Amino acid sequence: MAVCVAVIGKDNSPLYIGGVGNDTNTDNELSRQWLVHTALDALEERLATTNTNTANSASNASRTDLRDLYLGLLYSTDTHKIYGYVTNTRIKLVLVTSSTSPSGSNIRDAEVRTALRRLHALYADAICNPFHLPGEQITSSKFDRQVKNLLLNNV
Amino acid sequence: MSHPDYAQHAQHHACLLVLVKGIGGVLKNFNKLWERIQRVNNIKVTDSTGQVRDIWVRYVRDYPVENNDWGDFQTHRRLLGLITLSKFTNQIELNEVCRVHESLKVKYSNTLYDSRAFMFGPGSNLKKPEQEPETYSVYEEKQIEDKSSLNYKQTSEPGDSLSSNDSCAQSTSSSASYVVQEENFTIPSNFKTHAMFYGENEPVSDLEQNVADLINSLFWVVESKRLERSREKLDKVSLLLAPFEKRDFIGLDMDSRNNKKRCMGRVTKNLADLTLQSGLVAESLALYHSAAEILKAVNDWLWLAAAKEGHCAASAILIYPNLRITMPLHRNASLQESSPNKTKPLSLFQPGIDSFRKYKLTSSPLRSSKTSSPINPPSELTPSSSDSVETSSRQSETDNADTESLASSSDIEYQSQKSYITMDIPSIPRQVNNQYLLNGEDIAEKYRKAIIHYSKYQNAGIIETEACFKAARIAVEQNNSLLTSSFLQNVIFINLTLSEQEKIQRFDTLAEIYKEIGFLRKAAFYQRLAATRQVSANNPNPDWQRCYYLMLHSFPGHMLSLDPGQVVQHQIGWPALQIQLLQEVVVASRRMGHPALATRHMTFLLQAMWPHLSRQEHRDLAIQLQAVSAQCEGGPVPLVLETGEVIPPANLTHVPQCLSFTPKPLPLTRTPHSVKCKVQQGPFIFTPIHFGSLERKSKKEEGKMEYLWVEDDICEVQMKLTNPLPFELKVSNMLLLTSGVVFESLPETIILPPDSPTTVNLHGTPKEVGELQILGYSTHTLGVKSNCRLKNLPLSNKFPTSYVIEVIPSLPTMLIETCLSLSGHLNVSGESHSNVTNVSLYNGESTECAIKITNTSAVPIEYLDLAIQSNMDNQLQSKVFQWSNDDVQSQLPILPNEVATIKLKLYAEADFLDLGGVGENLFPNSLTSNYPSRVGSPVPNAQLSLPTQSSNPHTSLSSGLMVNRTSGSFRSSNSQTTSWSAPLSVMPPSRGRQVEAQMIIRYSGGAGKESHCRQSTLQFNLELLPSVSITHWDVLPAEIPTQLYLVLDVTNLTTEEMAFHYTSDKHILIESKESRRVPVPLDRCPFNVTPNKYNDEDTAESKSTSTSSGSLSLELMCSEHITSNVSLRWQLLQSGLRGAASVRGITLSHAMMDIVRMSPLNWEVSVNKQCIKPQEELNCTAGECLALGVSVQNLLSRPLHKLCLSVQFYQDYNNGVLSYKLDNRVATAGNNKVVLSTLTETSKAFHECTVVFLTPGEYKIDIQCSTTEPILEEPVAKEVDNASIIQPCSGEVNHVWRFIPPVAISVTD
Repeated sequence: MAVCVAVIGKDNSPLYIGGVGNDTNTDNELSRQWLVHTALDALEERLATTNTNTANSASNASRTDLRDLYLGLLYSTDTHKIYGYVTNTRIKLVLVTSSTSPSGSNIRDAEVRTALRRLHALYADAICNPFHLPGEQITSSKFDRQVKNLLLNNV
Repeated sequence: MSHPDYAQHAQHHACLLVLVKGIGGVLKNFNKLWERIQRVNNIKVTDSTGQVRDIWVRYVRDYPVENNDWGDFQTHRRLLGLITLSKFTNQIELNEVCRVHESLKVKYSNTLYDSRAFMFGPGSNLKKPEQEPETYSVYEEKQIEDKSSLNYKQTSEPGDSLSSNDSCAQSTSSSASYVVQEENFTIPSNFKTHAMFYGENEPVSDLEQNVADLINSLFWVVESKRLERSREKLDKVSLLLAPFEKRDFIGLDMDSRNNKKRCMGRVTKNLADLTLQSGLVAESLALYHSAAEILKAVNDWLWLAAAKEGHCAASAILIYPNLRITMPLHRNASLQESSPNKTKPLSLFQPGIDSFRKYKLTSSPLRSSKTSSPINPPSELTPSSSDSVETSSRQSETDNADTESLASSSDIEYQSQKSYITMDIPSIPRQVNNQYLLNGEDIAEKYRKAIIHYSKYQNAGIIETEACFKAARIAVEQNNSLLTSSFLQNVIFINLTLSEQEKIQRFDTLAEIYKEIGFLRKAAFYQRLAATRQVSANNPNPDWQRCYYLMLHSFPGHMLSLDPGQVVQHQIGWPALQIQLLQEVVVASRRMGHPALATRHMTFLLQAMWPHLSRQEHRDLAIQLQAVSAQCEGGPVPLVLETGEVIPPANLTHVPQCLSFTPKPLPLTRTPHSVKCKVQQGPFIFTPIHFGSLERKSKKEEGKMEYLWVEDDICEVQMKLTNPLPFELKVSNMLLLTSGVVFESLPETIILPPDSPTTVNLHGTPKEVGELQILGYSTHTLGVKSNCRLKNLPLSNKFPTSYVIEVIPSLPTMLIETCLSLSGHLNVSGESHSNVTNVSLYNGESTECAIKITNTSAVPIEYLDLAIQSNMDNQLQSKVFQWSNDDVQSQLPILPNEVATIKLKLYAEADFLDLGGVGENLFPNSLTSNYPSRVGSPVPNAQLSLPTQSSNPHTSLSSGLMVNRTSGSFRSSNSQTTSWSAPLSVMPPSRGRQVEAQMIIRYSGGAGKESHCRQSTLQFNLELLPSVSITHWDVLPAEIPTQLYLVLDVTNLTTEEMAFHYTSDKHILIESKESRRVPVPLDRCPFNVTPNKYNDEDTAESKSTSTSSGSLSLELMCSEHITSNVSLRWQLLQSGLRGAASVRGITLSHAMMDIVRMSPLNWEVSVNKQCIKPQEELNCTAGECLALGVSVQNLLSRPLHKLCLSVQFYQDYNNGVLSYKLDNRVATAGNNKVVLSTLTETSKAFHECTVVFLTPGEYKIDIQCSTTEPILEEPVAKEVDNASIIQPCSGEVNHVWRFIPPVAISVTD
């Protein structure tokens, strides 16, 4: 069960954080931010290692293009699992699933992957808005609605 | 085992564990000694086979006994040695210290092999007054080594007795070290430890040596244990157990084959541990490997895991020798700063983690070179010390060992080059080809497996946790961050029942390692977690201080810097988290009892997070800040924490927000002007021509102001502030922040209403001369003092970093009052720029105005200069405003608070001649038409256009209204018409006019008087009211030939009745708006009057034109004569105002001029030998014979030629018709026309004729004299051109002189 989605900019500043309030904790929003924020370290590290790997091996040059945008599980806590995805422009998409709920505990990797791909598409749609400044927070209500929809239905 | 040791590293598997403890009183230099001991972490011992062993030691400050129980499982967990550092001041304390030491020995008796006690007695120079040698017999030591440690106490008993017996006697020379003690102290009998005594402040020079000594002895015990173990028969060994396993094996068949193997495996593993500890790393690898093989076969997972871990540890030690060297540095506080590997605890935000990694990679050699490794300089080896340790049996061995091991780390220079080589070279090449050596990836893999195996046992949770940390640390060394993080992640999932403190430690260690691999966010997360645990409800004794520091150290992970400027500038990180963290920090610092910090962090929060906070949050936080700052005011000074960390000041620039900041030039009255400034010459104030080269040279720096400020003079900066908070904000103590010259700023307090921009003026006084930089302003609001620098302001792109203003030396200021003498009207002008004096004057009136100047400054006024600027021309202006410059200068200098008065005379200069309409008539205003006698008067030069004021409208306009008009060019253009006339009056007399004039007072004094002055302006608004106007004029001959009457039509233009004085004793009353005709008796204009009374300007001009018309100057002369002799005064009867009027600018026709001028010929006309007086009525009867005698005297200075003297009779019908046809009415005898060929100067000619009037009537006689000689005049005219005296004569040619008035005779019957 996905509980939270975050879009993080190139400079690791949050562009959008949205979640479905399944657990009605008062610190819900804040704790989600902590989760996503601490996931950034691992995410960056992963990016750095993939980069060096590809750079080291010239034979893998072709693989750079085909590099999987999906980074997989970044880390997990007792209650949550955090998955990462990075676009080619270094926009990071983070999905947090709750491992406590019955559906979330055995969520499949492929499901997460598709969900993040969809999110990527939604994000691309959102910044197609000519009035959106890249690097600004995403305030589009449509995007918000769609993301919430995605969280509730698809994952 | 219930106490995890998070600080453990993999290399500790190979270390001997030594407890260092301070007991008794607090030692001042305990930490220093601790550091010194720590440096002795590695010694080299040559074993019996001649092999050099590398022995590593781990020192701990505290060690739970429970952990000792795991000593069988992993031998490095055994506490082998004990060092106590103690202080005593008297015998009782000494006894106590000894007791504690012994009790510690008992506490760890299970594992302890040897101990040392360093005792520090009173007095600084304990000089071993008595050597009370504690025997340290070789025998004893041997015993210790040979026996197992279990019965340490017993073994030492023989020594006990020995020492007690020989307490006074000198023992053998084998004493280990000097035992220094004062005679008073005695060691309790049961104290059986190798004790060293020092004075408290003594430098313990042999500390390192003694420690090395201890280690040496420990090594031999371990080595013996190893040998013992290795010689054991494998099938007879007993089962080694982990503490919790004891129950598990109850009832099991101990003799089964499986169990045998288990025993074998475990013993092998134990042997491997010992081997590793005793410095044979390579050998241990094989043992670990075989142990693992055996244990794997019997599914003894726990011990398998231990074997694997040992294998990994041994491999890691070999592969990563740096690990060992790094380790002590980590624990060594004094070296921490020099070690670049450690991130500084409170380093500000690090933009790149890569740089951090670079450190990690490059720093290793550096680190190792700095490490103090114990090697043995030969000089240190004193005979006594070497002797002491030796035993007879092992003489050779220990000798070798000594030379290798006894060390002092004090001379680092010597070691630094050698240490690296001596340590690593012997060990590394040996194991490179070891088949059991694991490579980096294998280590990680094996560790992972080991951890998995550990996790199968709930009771091994702590071992598992420690293994995770160890593995993570190896991964750090491998530079594999992801691996590290996965190991660390695993720690979280291990479920342990730990005390709060241990949980916190766990988070802390996690954070530390995360920090090492650059996972700052993770580190921050755990630090915050640890911080919250510190003060959580479960924690029995919350520690807010540590909570605070943990929070503070998590700042870099949240991309927060302590400097708000940096945060504001970069704006990175996650605002929501940052706000949360900052709020928690505020709470922590307040609970910690440091309100200043709370205020500082609260200010920081409000300032740095301003853009991310909602309006409501702004309000709430502001109120919170107010509450916090009530306890301790915030100031713009850095706060230094106990740890030495510095919290930079946080300045509130958002509350209130500055919209604009402009230094103001001084108000106009106080603006300094350059003394040498040029008077504006042309009309061009602005030139569009740019001199490129000049511009480039004087490139203006930003923020440099064009105006000047004056020392000791109040200056002003205008600011616009808004209060973004929804409540009224009081900002007090607003000051200007400046640098450069000394500046005294005046504090300002304002109350800002919410959300409306308010203008605030900040004032201050520069106290020195030079350049003043205004950097910003300071505020005190919400209980926080802030220094808001312009460059830090939120809209900083709007402001330059500073404003630079030049301050010049002080100048005086003055207060100007004007006082009109007449009206008593007082006008005070102080600071205000325009100080207006309104005066209304009737034309011709004059008044006096007193200008009172008070020096209001502390500087004397030493220079004063008055000037008038107005819309009048200079000449007129100088007539309207008159003052004495000498009088002004004589009053200087005006000392402070003194008053000077300047008298200014105002005169309403005007033209009184009303030159109304201009038409065909050349003399529209003359009274000619009223005087029929004038009709026939010849106007010889009529073709010469005679100027009148109004004939040329341009004249009046230009001459009057142009400001400061002195231009000759203008004048020359219309000189033809106006040059002769008197200074032009502007003003048609019939209308009132406004004259605006400014008196510019430039003054200076004091130090700055050479270069600058100030300028005050007095504004005069003069209203000139019409008083009288002369609308028409004419001249009439008077009764006596030397006089004439100037007849004027005078109109009273005022609203009051006026007394018009036209002579000294005659006046006439004129009603308002009424006109009267007054005759003014005048002397005729004498011939020889110099016409050029005017200034040179006029002369020059008149000369230029006089060639064409001599009569012009003649007329000028006459006009001048009239003007100067007519004195007209008026007085308003009601208001009592007096004034004068003049007829300046009067124009005269030729006929008039004849009257005005004295005739060149003196007439004497007689009738019947009786001289006729002017205006005399003559009567005779018809038929009577009258003898008319005319005598003419030439009054000119030259002779006249061809004069024609004629007498004519006519009748005046008084209707403008003159009848000369008197043929039948008059009979004359004698010539009525005579020609005089020459009339020399002053000579007289006389002619007489007789006349008879035939019929009665009124007759008149026209007697005239004319020159009929035109030839003569030309040369004369030319000659006299330059001689002004004769000039009038040039006009005499063709002229007719009459005897005026004509003789009138009334003839009766």
